[in-house]
Amino acid sequence: MTDLHTDGNGVAGLLEEILAVEVTTMVRKCQSCGDRQPIAAHRAYRGAGVVLRCPSCGDVAVRIGVHAEAVTVEWRGTYAIAQTGSGSP
Amino acid sequence: MTRRAPVVWRTATVRGVVAESHHARTLVLDVPEWPGHRAGQHVDLRLTAEDGYQAQRSYSIASAPELDALEITVELIDDGEVSPYLVEEVRPGDQFEVRGPIGGHFTWSVPDGGPLLLIGGGSGLVPLMSMLRHRAARRSEVETRLLVSARGAEDALHSDELASLEPSAGLHVAWTFTRTPPPGWTGWARRVDAAMLAELGPGPDAGARSFVCGPTPFVERVAELLVEAGHDPRAIHAERFGPTGG
Repeated sequence: MTDLHTDGNGVAGLLEEILAVEVTTMVRKCQSCGDRQPIAAHRAYRGAGVVLRCPSCGDVAVRIGVHAEAVTVEWRGTYAIAQTGSGSP
Repeated sequence: MTRRAPVVWRTATVRGVVAESHHARTLVLDVPEWPGHRAGQHVDLRLTAEDGYQAQRSYSIASAPELDALEITVELIDDGEVSPYLVEEVRPGDQFEVRGPIGGHFTWSVPDGGPLLLIGGGSGLVPLMSMLRHRAARRSEVETRLLVSARGAEDALHSDELASLEPSAGLHVAWTFTRTPPPGWTGWARRVDAAMLAELGPGPDAGARSFVCGPTPFVERVAELLVEAGHDPRAIHAERFGPTGG
């Protein structure tokens, strides 16, 4: 292992601060490979912000930017997202 | 989807500290208006220096939801920014901020049922302790197998408490020591492997809910072994913590 990733559990507080919703159980459908995985299972890479990547194909799923006055969330590469139990995306 | 009030920062006051090993301790916290948690959830913790500089980390909740205090068990990370303060300096009465509870994927409550397969590497045991304490508080007899991988006996967290919990019906606790087993140890003394998981059980046909927590390489290896053994990937819940500067 050379990359130092964690997973989507660790950014749940940050996302919940913005979205006011529990995100780890949300299932995301990847725009690249079509796989459906909970946000918790996504790989998280931290730098100036956080990038979540699909655990199946590695493509970028979500970019989170942490700035002095704001937090930005860009759902790049996400085809659909749904809460578990509320139907498949 | 369930919208709820945004998680807010609350002031936590240290009620007590408990030494768990030479490099880990449990902080017992009072958090006014704490909304309660589910076993397996975590909190974000924020320290603010006098000059306004802030540092933030995530810590798994160690205590059962039934306890009237919030407990986190923190392991010292050398050269860390936050853990040296929490492990070596914090005293009763000190205050810092926490927000939570956070997370829903890596959680278990008695009504969720079992069998349960809990596998922790190092301080990855902490959220699993919350599950086991919750199970004990509810006098649950859900079939539960816990495997803890520790480097040596001096790194083994909560071993006395686990020994006291084990006579509970349906609970089996197993250890493996990867570097320096205790003197006279006749149990497992190697990294988790397929043969160990097969011996531990339950087998893939039992429909177990698995919870795996630890450093990223540990979690990825164990999850892969479980999938290769035939466990349903959707029933494997993983939580990775990396060298994040602790």
